Amino acid sequence: MNTKQNDVVAEYLHEVDLRLSGLPVLQRRELLADLAAHVATERTERNIRTEGELIEILERLGAPDVVAAAAYQEAGSYPPPPPTTVRAKRPGWLLPAGIGAAVLIVLVLVLCGFSFFFQTSSSRPSPAEPARMPATVEPVQPR
Amino acid sequence: MADAAQLSTSLRRGTLEFCVLAMVEHEDRYGNEIVRRFGEEPNLAASEGTIYPLLSRLRRAGLMDTKWAESPTGPPRRYYGLTPAGRSALDHFRTEWVSFRQTVDRLVGTGEAA
Repeated sequence: MNTKQNDVVAEYLHEVDLRLSGLPVLQRRELLADLAAHVATERTERNIRTEGELIEILERLGAPDVVAAAAYQEAGSYPPPPPTTVRAKRPGWLLPAGIGAAVLIVLVLVLCGFSFFFQTSSSRPSPAEPARMPATVEPVQPR
Repeated sequence: MADAAQLSTSLRRGTLEFCVLAMVEHEDRYGNEIVRRFGEEPNLAASEGTIYPLLSRLRRAGLMDTKWAESPTGPPRRYYGLTPAGRSALDHFRTEWVSFRQTVDRLVGTGEAA
């Protein structure tokens, strides 16, 4: 059970570490050491026994994203972590795709309008054409 | 709701670090103590893990120093203490804060009522 608990902590620290790749290595190591010491101290001082209690400690520390975001904010002008960049890409292609779809829809509507217009204008003359009456030919009376 | 969260974030920014400095003004404290103390204040409550990057910045700025010490009960503890630069930064903040607070109270109308 103790090994399993260590796994939970190691996994959490690993998740935080993954998000810190844009930080200077010493700041990265410092934060991970601080977090590890925090968890270790809580475990002994609060006499943590179950995995549930341990997860509560990790939850109070905050999601890896939140902790990493604070680290970047306090570090100042360093580049954002890769996960944020990946997430930022989404709207990047979504926007052109949306515009493309809108243009396509407008194009289709315009084409439909045109074809409808041409169809009605070309078919209008036929019913409007006066029906040709059969010519009444007067029978030639033989004299 | 987002606005309320934004407001408390904005108010925390710029003041939280002086609360930290004041916390170690009279005696050195280790990380868990500082974090726990914050947990008791609903207005300052943030994820505990976000306090450590702040402590790191204050140390790098020379306002606090740290030392690892053995604990009688468990793993080693990292103690934080105020440097002379940290002390003068805290003194400066106290002066600024009082006049800042008075101005805001006067303009917002929270002075006498509060």
